[in-house]
Amino acid sequence: MATGVGIAEVMGPVIALIVFSASMPILGYIEGKLKYKYLTGVAASVGFSFALIYLAHFLWRFWSSLAKGVALTSSLFPNFGRPLGVEIRVDVFSTFMALLFIGLGLLISIYSIKYMEHDTGLDRYYAMLLLLVAGMVGVAVAGDFFTLFVFWELMSISSYSLVSFRKYRWEPIEAGFKYLVMSTLGSLVALLGISLLYYYAGTLNFVLLSEAFARPDGTLKLYGYVILMLIFVGFGVTASIVPFHTWLPDAHPAAPSSISAMLSGLVIKAGVYAIARGSFMIFKPTAFDYGTLFVVFAVITTTVANIMALLQRDVKRLLAFSSTVNIGFILFGLGTAAYASHLGVAIAGILGLVGALMHILSHAIGKGLLFLAAGSFITRAKTRNIYELQGAGRAMPWTGVAFSVGLLSLSGAPPLAGFVSKFFLLMAGYSVGNAFMNVATSLMLVNSVFAAAYYLRLLQICVIRPRGEGVKELREASPVIVAPLVILMILLIIIGCYPWPLLDIARSAASALLQP
Amino acid sequence: MGLTSPQAYIAFSIILLAIGVYCLVSKRNMIKTVIGIEVTTIAVNTALLSLSWARVATISHITGAMVEPLAEALVIISIVIGGAIAALALSLVVNAYRHYKTLDLKKLKRLRW
Repeated sequence: MATGVGIAEVMGPVIALIVFSASMPILGYIEGKLKYKYLTGVAASVGFSFALIYLAHFLWRFWSSLAKGVALTSSLFPNFGRPLGVEIRVDVFSTFMALLFIGLGLLISIYSIKYMEHDTGLDRYYAMLLLLVAGMVGVAVAGDFFTLFVFWELMSISSYSLVSFRKYRWEPIEAGFKYLVMSTLGSLVALLGISLLYYYAGTLNFVLLSEAFARPDGTLKLYGYVILMLIFVGFGVTASIVPFHTWLPDAHPAAPSSISAMLSGLVIKAGVYAIARGSFMIFKPTAFDYGTLFVVFAVITTTVANIMALLQRDVKRLLAFSSTVNIGFILFGLGTAAYASHLGVAIAGILGLVGALMHILSHAIGKGLLFLAAGSFITRAKTRNIYELQGAGRAMPWTGVAFSVGLLSLSGAPPLAGFVSKFFLLMAGYSVGNAFMNVATSLMLVNSVFAAAYYLRLLQICVIRPRGEGVKELREASPVIVAPLVILMILLIIIGCYPWPLLDIARSAASALLQP
Repeated sequence: MGLTSPQAYIAFSIILLAIGVYCLVSKRNMIKTVIGIEVTTIAVNTALLSLSWARVATISHITGAMVEPLAEALVIISIVIGGAIAALALSLVVNAYRHYKTLDLKKLKRLRW
């Protein structure tokens, strides 16, 4: 079920982002001449708006066919035919992710206008930010591993340089170098997996690969598992699954807060997306049994990261570990879906993927909000220690309220978005109904409560307690910083109270991924 | 199995991969770490090329007579990406040297775990 579509229409958002990124040096020069320091930031926001308009236009034209589960494909070189042409493939899952990437990117670039005003080299910052989002959207719409790998590296290189953007301090340099070494090694492992795929199937196209691995016999099954492991480990480094997560708690605090929100909200989600594409699309869960592996890794990830998060006193480091915890939850949803489909429990499979998609959405919005709000506290209070930020939420009421809503949503309080996604994840786990999944789901439930404990501790210290010594003189942040926070907060509340349209979208994306 | 067979190149790339990973794990100097990344990149590129060659060889039985355009394009792009990553890594090394006056990774460990 695939319909052709022009490549310019599909790649419109990516092209808009890259054009604005390329124009940043000129704008930076004009900015220096005009002595108006917000020019590049405003231009970057305009670029994100253009990309969003392109995407909205694309959705408006093709939504009726996308919603039916049709994948729109287009090729850069249509004359070369299927195995050779660079292919773009858009389905509901892709547009879901692309909309999330561009929307949050727009809010973060608006936030950065004021947040980054004291930094120099802003033209490079915005150029990298635009390229980062362009890379992620490219990963989301890729129809073969060739395209996916190119955009993956575009995303990775931009995020390395953004992590070490404040290069006059030691911490970003060190964290950036660590991130670069680990993530490059991860990409190389994934490339090794891709080269093995090419050896056994002679193509990198997702659809042709899934046909090649549709009915695996003995050796092909073994090769399939080896490739699956390589892809899982390779993209798992960026997704920060536990044995490979050690770059994350260093890189997130070292980056500027806007970039922490970007990394934690979106880049690690791109890793999860690549794992989901690479596993569900090519190795059908009915033929390959990788759900057990995913679930085991998910439980380990959540438990280890929870314990580490509980020990932190640095607010951004705590939030960084909590990102790893939530990646565990998303991976649990994917694992449940694969496990249930392998056993033939179709409803639990759909529920697991719906939970994973909803958790991608709710965690991206919630954690983006938390990092942006924490950045707003940190800029005013000049400290990252939780105890020195005591009562900061009372001094900065708008930021404080947004921060509280974000924490409550991540801890899974009922009327907010985090509740919906965690509810679906746990329901999917219990509806499989065998001993292994019951134990794993119970462990995830315990972990969820455990996570709520330190979110509420953070809430209690930063917002509920009376103002401490360090925050007596704090003022509310500028409206340009507060506006994205309030928008994200309202989104969390709306998704929590009225999730039905999103659940429909997530369900059609899930059934598109799981269809045999 | 001579020097003209893809198996020799696959073996070569595996050896290169081992050298690169060993270099990444054991060396304390930042520049040697960057060299390790580059060696690993080259190993994976060689693996991709020789695996695609092996595939062509099994299909057409004319060793070395055909090329796989997609694999070669991917390798060329991977080489370019490797260059960009090396440049970025070396710029980080320069900045680290400005901060610490040393390139020893063990002396850089100010980050907590």
